[in-house]
Amino acid sequence: MPRRVAIVGVGLTRCSSWRRDVIYPELVYEATSPALQDAGITPNDVDAVVYGSMDPFDGVNAPEKWNVDACAAAGMLGKPYLKISTGGTTGGSAALAAYYHVASGLYDVVLAVASQRVGETLEAQLVLNTAVDPVYERGFGVGAITVAAIQACSHMHAYGTTEEDIALVSVRNHENALNNPYAHLRVKFSVQDALASAMLSWPLRLSDCCPSSDGACALVFASEERARKLARQPAWVRGAGQITDNYFTGDRPWYEDWDSLAMLARRVYRLAKIDDPMREIDVAELYNAFTIQEILEYEALGFCEKGKGAELVRQGVTAMDGQLPVCPSGGVLSTNPIGASGLIRVAEAALQVMGKADQRQVPDVKTALAHAWGATIGFHTLMILDREAP
Amino acid sequence: MSSRVCIVGVGQTHHRGPGGNLAYHEFAFEAARAALEDAGLTRGDLDTVLASGWDVLDGRTISDMHLVPAAGGYLKDSAKVADDGILAFAYAYMRIASGAFDTALVVGHGHAEGPTELVSNVALDPFFYRPLGVGVTSSLALQASAYAAHYGVSEDQAAGVVVKNRRHGANNPYAHLTSAVTRDEVLASKMIAWPLRDLDCRPQSVGAVAVILTSDDRARRIASRWATVEGIGWATESYYIGATELWRLGALTSAAQRAYRMAGISDPVAELDLAEVHDITSYHELMAYEALGWAEEGAAGRLLEEGATSMEGRLPVNPSGGALSTNLEAGTGLARVAEAALQVTGRADGRQVEARTALAHGMSALAGSIAQAHGVVILRRSE
Repeated sequence: MPRRVAIVGVGLTRCSSWRRDVIYPELVYEATSPALQDAGITPNDVDAVVYGSMDPFDGVNAPEKWNVDACAAAGMLGKPYLKISTGGTTGGSAALAAYYHVASGLYDVVLAVASQRVGETLEAQLVLNTAVDPVYERGFGVGAITVAAIQACSHMHAYGTTEEDIALVSVRNHENALNNPYAHLRVKFSVQDALASAMLSWPLRLSDCCPSSDGACALVFASEERARKLARQPAWVRGAGQITDNYFTGDRPWYEDWDSLAMLARRVYRLAKIDDPMREIDVAELYNAFTIQEILEYEALGFCEKGKGAELVRQGVTAMDGQLPVCPSGGVLSTNPIGASGLIRVAEAALQVMGKADQRQVPDVKTALAHAWGATIGFHTLMILDREAP
Repeated sequence: MSSRVCIVGVGQTHHRGPGGNLAYHEFAFEAARAALEDAGLTRGDLDTVLASGWDVLDGRTISDMHLVPAAGGYLKDSAKVADDGILAFAYAYMRIASGAFDTALVVGHGHAEGPTELVSNVALDPFFYRPLGVGVTSSLALQASAYAAHYGVSEDQAAGVVVKNRRHGANNPYAHLTSAVTRDEVLASKMIAWPLRDLDCRPQSVGAVAVILTSDDRARRIASRWATVEGIGWATESYYIGATELWRLGALTSAAQRAYRMAGISDPVAELDLAEVHDITSYHELMAYEALGWAEEGAAGRLLEEGATSMEGRLPVNPSGGALSTNLEAGTGLARVAEAALQVTGRADGRQVEARTALAHGMSALAGSIAQAHGVVILRRSE
């Protein structure tokens, strides 16, 4: 069995559409410095570093090399430094990589860093379009928003989910973001305002879509022995994993259900010994780049039956004061530095477990779930964190 | 540590020059298929698949979308290390050592669709280095000239590396360049970036390589011979060219020290039987001898001239022909691991040397300013 691993430090940056006030290493340092401080360690205590970013969205290729000093990775000894890129799941994959660094027994204290400067991208959807096959699918304009729109159409057709339902998801997330000083969009609006916003890719309106953000995030992972010394309340990794779906968008027949995520959830719940997610999970940070996806995620993660996701929204089950609050941070809908967004989900889940989420804290969190998706909905990562060591 | 990690399968394509009508994930499929056949496994036996490479070089955002399913990773747990494949190998090693996975496949590919000089130039910061026009070749040339000047290494000595590796490559049916070259041909080849001539530099090759790792327990059950990972280390150094001693590969020394310590190696020249190093230029092979602790600083040229690193020498280096014969860019370091595994399991055919313990080295060639990150793997023949 893998060694026990916990998160003992969290650092987040302020996010905006263009952090032109800082150069790249400064942005990264804005995340790594508070993460080390939170864990009460110095750069010398870091044994190895994992870095996540999606290079095609940055104005510099392989930014981890430039940012090496900001990650405490260089210096006299030359630390082990591993770069991860897996689309939207990059941050989730970076967290997994840091976890395996420690779980393997090779390293005791590992810094996971993820960043993105989407403000340097001329048009993110064009960049995403180059992810798909140039012969069959690129010409159709397949990217993130188009695939999400197909999910929305299919879900509405199959289960009767409405435009009002997805508008309510947007309103809730943006309300939550008002409590999060690190969120990019912090605006209050109503369902009527959302329904009046511009249609981008039917049935997804501007209010149904994430912004593009500049930001970074850093987490300190530690072995059991170090974690117990470093943190009053570590966030223990109770289960984690990734799943890879097929490649062609047109080869996935079901868009109303997210079967690959459901399959991953079953695997990770088995590792974490979770039987009834709705009862056993206290808060979830989901990768809701588009409103409809939050609803599909509820169903795939077993929070409700297939087709019943919109009911959870209508009944307020996933609101801040509901039974299972989702995205107290405001989610990806409020803040999306692409390669960092998955790590921010893990960071927010860790803050909830550690009781350090300030204004956005859900009372008495024992177990938290962090999710990310990427690769035109082909990849998912999950990590379940807990107050108690597994 | 939960478990020792072993290599039970190696697959590679017949590497070639640019062109042809296969996409990069089709090469990955070919290599993965060969590795599975080599290990006597099927796709269903794999628990996790790790890809490697740089999206910007591949001209594809999220290249692992294509690579991983093509390499047997459909519905599996995967990730991509956006760097040389030897670092993806390191990640696969950790996944298995943790006990969370039993069997992993790592794939590296070379299929540069972007211009390497431009791709490496945009990896530099936009303020100081990028406007200077620095790219991979010019930064490697800076190191080479600093090394030559610092220790009085001659062009003739560097040419000796090319002659040796191209002669070795002629024995390797998978190599891209399979013709030997003479010292005169090297020294007469076109100057690219002083002191690097055309033949001192790597070619541009197309192909893929795959390696299958598994736990000690499973290796005993499924294989008759395998390579055990005895040591592994990887390290980075500063980004700023001005903050680096250009005549040394500092991060390679750090990576090697970690790997030697783990493998219990104190006298590498005596204890290693063979090495596959990332000879991104002829000068860098010499610099690697020193960083790996085989020669005093500045003395690598003598080790070469003594013939110690030829096929017949006491520590043959790059029997495969190295990167000077086949350059898969981000697949190059993983190809070094694959070749070292073939050697210690006695399956290197015409390029075989007598080897029980081997070292493989890879570097982050196209990212960062000056060969900033390195990985070292030490393999030993199973008992």
